[in-house]
Amino acid sequence: MTSERTPGPQVGRSPPRREARAKLSGRAPYVHDLVLPGMLHGKLARSTRPHARIRRIDTAAARAIEGVHAVLTGDDIRQLIPQPYHGPAFHDQPILALDKVRYAGEPLALVLASDPHVAQTAARLIEAEYEELPAVYDEVEAMRSSAIVHDVLKPAGTFPDLKHLAGKRDTNVALDFHLRRGNAARAFEHAEHVFEHTFKTQQVLHLPLEPFVSVADPGERQLTLHTASQSPSFVRIEIARLLGWPENRVRVQVPFLGGGFGAKVYVKLEALVAAAALIVRRPVKVALTMEEQFYTLTKHAATLRIKSAVDAEGRISARECEVWWNGGAYADIGPRITQKSGFTAPGPYDIEHVSIDSYALYTNLPPAGALRGFGIPQLVWAYESHADMIARALSIDPLAFRRKNLLREGRAQATGTLMRDAALDTVLERLAQRMRWDEPFERGSGSVRRGRGIGIGFKASISPTTSVAIVSVSADGSCHLLCSTVDMGQGSDTAMAQIAAEVLGIAAEDITVVHPDTDVTPFDMATLGSRSTYHMGNAVKRAAEDARDRLFALAAELGLAPETTPIPEIFRRKYGMQAGNVVGQGSFVPSYIPTDHASGQSSDVTPFWMVGATGVEIEVDTETGQVKVTRLVNLADAGRTVNPAIVDTQLSGAAIMQLGFTLFEQIEFRSGQVANASLADYKIPGMHDLPPLIENEAVTAHEHGGPFGAKGVGESGTFAVSPAIANAIEDAVGVRVTALPITAEAVYRALRASRGEPLAQ
Amino acid sequence: MSTAQRIIRFTLNGEAIAASVAPHENVVELLQRLGLHGARESCGQGLCGCCTVRVDGLAVSGCLYFAVQLDATCVDTIEQPFGEDGLDEVQQAFAQCGAFQCGFCTPGFVLMSRELLAANPEPSEDEIRHYLSGNLCRCAAYPEIIRAVQLAARMRRARS
Amino acid sequence: MTPFELIEPRTLDEALRLLDPADPGVRPAGGCTALMLMMKAGMLVPTRLVSLRRIEPRYRDIVASDDAITIGANASLASIEHSARVRDELPALARTLRTLANVRVRNVATLGGNLAHADPHMDLPPLLAALDASVQVQGRGSSRYASIEQLISGYYETTLAGDELIVAVRIPKRAARGCAYRKVTTRSADDWPALGIAVALEREGERVRAARVVLGAAVDRPTRLLAAEAALQGTRLDETSARRAADAAADEARPSEDARGSAAYKRELIRVHVRRTLLEAWCDEPVGAVRQ
Ligand SMILES: Cc1cc2nc3c(=O)[nH]c(=O)nc-3n(C[C@H](O)[C@H](O)[C@H](O)COP(=O)(O)OP(=O)(O)OC[C@H]3O[C@@H](n4cnc5c(N)ncnc54)[C@H](O)[C@@H]3O)c2cc1C
Ligand code: FES
Ligand code: FES
Repeated sequence: MTSERTPGPQVGRSPPRREARAKLSGRAPYVHDLVLPGMLHGKLARSTRPHARIRRIDTAAARAIEGVHAVLTGDDIRQLIPQPYHGPAFHDQPILALDKVRYAGEPLALVLASDPHVAQTAARLIEAEYEELPAVYDEVEAMRSSAIVHDVLKPAGTFPDLKHLAGKRDTNVALDFHLRRGNAARAFEHAEHVFEHTFKTQQVLHLPLEPFVSVADPGERQLTLHTASQSPSFVRIEIARLLGWPENRVRVQVPFLGGGFGAKVYVKLEALVAAAALIVRRPVKVALTMEEQFYTLTKHAATLRIKSAVDAEGRISARECEVWWNGGAYADIGPRITQKSGFTAPGPYDIEHVSIDSYALYTNLPPAGALRGFGIPQLVWAYESHADMIARALSIDPLAFRRKNLLREGRAQATGTLMRDAALDTVLERLAQRMRWDEPFERGSGSVRRGRGIGIGFKASISPTTSVAIVSVSADGSCHLLCSTVDMGQGSDTAMAQIAAEVLGIAAEDITVVHPDTDVTPFDMATLGSRSTYHMGNAVKRAAEDARDRLFALAAELGLAPETTPIPEIFRRKYGMQAGNVVGQGSFVPSYIPTDHASGQSSDVTPFWMVGATGVEIEVDTETGQVKVTRLVNLADAGRTVNPAIVDTQLSGAAIMQLGFTLFEQIEFRSGQVANASLADYKIPGMHDLPPLIENEAVTAHEHGGPFGAKGVGESGTFAVSPAIANAIEDAVGVRVTALPITAEAVYRALRASRGEPLAQ
Repeated sequence: MSTAQRIIRFTLNGEAIAASVAPHENVVELLQRLGLHGARESCGQGLCGCCTVRVDGLAVSGCLYFAVQLDATCVDTIEQPFGEDGLDEVQQAFAQCGAFQCGFCTPGFVLMSRELLAANPEPSEDEIRHYLSGNLCRCAAYPEIIRAVQLAARMRRARS
Repeated sequence: MTPFELIEPRTLDEALRLLDPADPGVRPAGGCTALMLMMKAGMLVPTRLVSLRRIEPRYRDIVASDDAITIGANASLASIEHSARVRDELPALARTLRTLANVRVRNVATLGGNLAHADPHMDLPPLLAALDASVQVQGRGSSRYASIEQLISGYYETTLAGDELIVAVRIPKRAARGCAYRKVTTRSADDWPALGIAVALEREGERVRAARVVLGAAVDRPTRLLAAEAALQGTRLDETSARRAADAAADEARPSEDARGSAAYKRELIRVHVRRTLLEAWCDEPVGAVRQ
């Protein structure tokens, strides 16, 4: 019986993941596995030029291959969808290239065949004639370049916080965000010390092991999409918009995802399979290869200039930040990243005078989007490296410098929004304790030198966004939870069930979580930006409360004791048998006040603050520059943890991923062409790259607005890994690296330069 | 097109079967066609281990193995059931330790961990890392995976 | 799609007859790991693959005689790694195999395939060159022996004719030989090497009687560093002499630039790792060698 009413607290325990058995026996469903009767496989031919007008696409040879069902180009798509452009911030991305290609690797034509090998062979035969255009690759150059990626910019107007975007001509600037607080210019004039440094980050890849995949199934009345997507509700709206259909004629179903990390948000392959399936009237599947992921979405490379005025005591009085984001050929969510990360660009410090300018730029590289941190890891890389460089220059201990400047509870952050429930100080202090910062540190000898470093970062959540949930109680007391949060590995199914169970007073295991299906599960903005625990968690909690209240009301109406009557008894009394449902509904959208366009000020930019800090101990081989992280300590404020085991895995998983971004991951481009599009040439961390010691801690904290005090944590582990390592390198061997990745060669070159014997290029 | 199909016969998770395969088909494609989805192609280059299966008692990457070469072999996949509740010690330990996130790499890690424990019932942490270094997990559940293998080793010892 | 066939002959003779030197689309196949990668990348479009997997079992044997260990070309890398004989008498080979690719690849990839592929990043060619191995090559009615330097003629190039097969590798035993191989990766730990350095030192008392120092990965084929070898001749191996030889190695090597490092950086890596590998090889005490 699933009706026991008091199984004990559900939030705060770590039941095994509900999908454990399915995943461990190879039976968990992924879109990757899906086969529909009569299904065609689509393979893409891609642009070989970074920027060119398309004169002609020659598909004859491909069509001539036996077994090829159809070959589609952008013109064919335009027959079905007159304006075949999509994108969350700008409607700038064509489903298949039209008139022009804007990066090497852009989808040009789709070959459909029953046998994927046939489609692949045919796709390799497609050729295009191009008229090459000047291209721009660097984000800083893109500010002034005469190479213009988009002739006209067409804002999408989808998100309330991007409503102000206006169409523009002849610029590569998709969005510029500015923030002014106090008078930074004047403060610099009177400053005791002024420090200015420039930092760089590289393009990296999400590289989920399940590459992008979508299937479209054209039905009688409805088009069904099975897609590995983090944003089923958005996909439904966007596909309906493209087709000019009502939302209810598009159905989006999402089973498990083989990883997402921000890649599988908004529309990726969905518009392509939808259009293809409607044209050929058969189910169509497009499953990208590992290689093709490199041509789909990357993480923004950025150039960050940061300048601080510091007084004699080591207090930062003013800070100026300029950030250029390399958005690639299509804006994707880049403008939002530019804006949201701009809010916290000066770091978690209490600074009176602040000036921020942040620019989202188009270039002729594959589009960049959100990747576990929404721009924050890039910023923390800059401001936490900068922090240590200042502390060193002033001979202040890096921890003491941070303590002195830290933003405290209740103080106004750069946007003017007050800090609330952001455990910056607790996180920093726990990190210091775990690192035994005040104890002497063994520094190594000979060619092996040891060092340690710390970093701390924070993030404003993405706002305002909406989540809706439904809890349905059956007559035997068992429950369904309907929500469109996508479990892509972060364990949300388990955590959401715990939240609902806590309210209903039943065991989390007794709740069935229905996977996203837009015909069934209600709206959710997307599973991204660590927003689900807070936003969907609140919606789930409200839905469960609504269901519980209705049950109680029903019991009272029947003259039963609401709190103690077993649920089945209530139904039996009402319907005379095991029958009926009680359905509770909850929705959540936090308050938000848009920032002023000129000053970037707002008293309410975020419903909650995320905090993450990292400490590392490292060894540097001074003869080769090789860096080995021997200890990795991850701290975060996750509010009250709903499921401590899952939080732990999120923290170390994020930190290890960022370790790869810090030390070796890099998409290499040669004249706009990706030069290392495979797992053989683009390396990600494996077992041997793992630091021998990894520790995670979510500090004791409470988030006032979160469900049972909880908030998101999926990205916090990434924030401060990179600067902590760079800071530890300087601690170990006295050299500073300001560009990612910190390769062994970069460290070795810095060592040689510091000895006055620079290594030839 | 004379990509002649060939009939092969082999044992799949203990059951004798016959299948018609094309010469270019690899083991993952064949298994997927047979409705077994646990071995999946990800990198397609032998590097990640998502496509791991056992052929005649040896773990191989299905993405780099021609299906026709399965003729007259014994193939075991992650779908092979164990014991009363269908999961062996390795799977139970992975569940207990939460040694997965998205689960895409998980079948490969489970199968390789099983191989490791068969060859080396008491592996050190270094030996675990070494043996599993040919499997990649982008969710980086590595610390949990190491703990799970250690737990599975203890569970196996306790049983025998 | 270009049709092709995969044939599994039962004898070496039959395999040799199935090869066709006139058709570059006909290729012998060992474990097929490298072949499948090339096919997936569209670099190879075969018409016929002649798999050696089912030929006479003796082509995968590992046999020891008084003066050599001979390994059949069909031996899987895993079987060599786990061979007690190899562990005892050629521990450096067993150690190298442990870090070559991964368990699954070693289970199927063959010694013959590893040599014939001639990818400069492979670990075995430099090591086998340092061990003075000779490769037995069988043609239709002809048989010859080639050193690794004679076999591998360039970047993915060998001197194998289209109807020749590698059938075995013979590694001579040498008294008091210490050997070591270092795979130097500069990005993730498991990566293709930026350089591979193999060293074999024959001792005479406290001195080096003969040395072989071979560089792989950073150059287009395994290359002996002769100046370094000469610098070691007759010396007592210690930090100073190892450093001198390593400097000679760094001076003579011509590493190429790639994503794993610039040429200048790789030269410095050669300097450091030749020294370290020499010191390691000097301490290498194969059981077999001691017994002799
Ligand atoms: C994921 C992965 C990682 C790897 N990492 C490493 C590594 O770290 N170090 C390393 O050294 N290697 C590494 N390799 C390469 C691996 O060792 C080779 O793929 C393997 O050795 C090739 O062996 P095979 O038997 O599969 O050859 P096949 O693919 O069958 O053949 C390779 C080539 O050799 C020819 N050939 C095969 N057998 C013979 C023969 N007997 N006579 C003449 N020609 C023949 C074929 O025609 C083909 O040209 C890696 C491979 C993979 C897939
Ligand atoms: S898919 Fe086969 S090893 Fe990655
Ligand atoms: S659990 Fe996601 S890749 Fe391993």
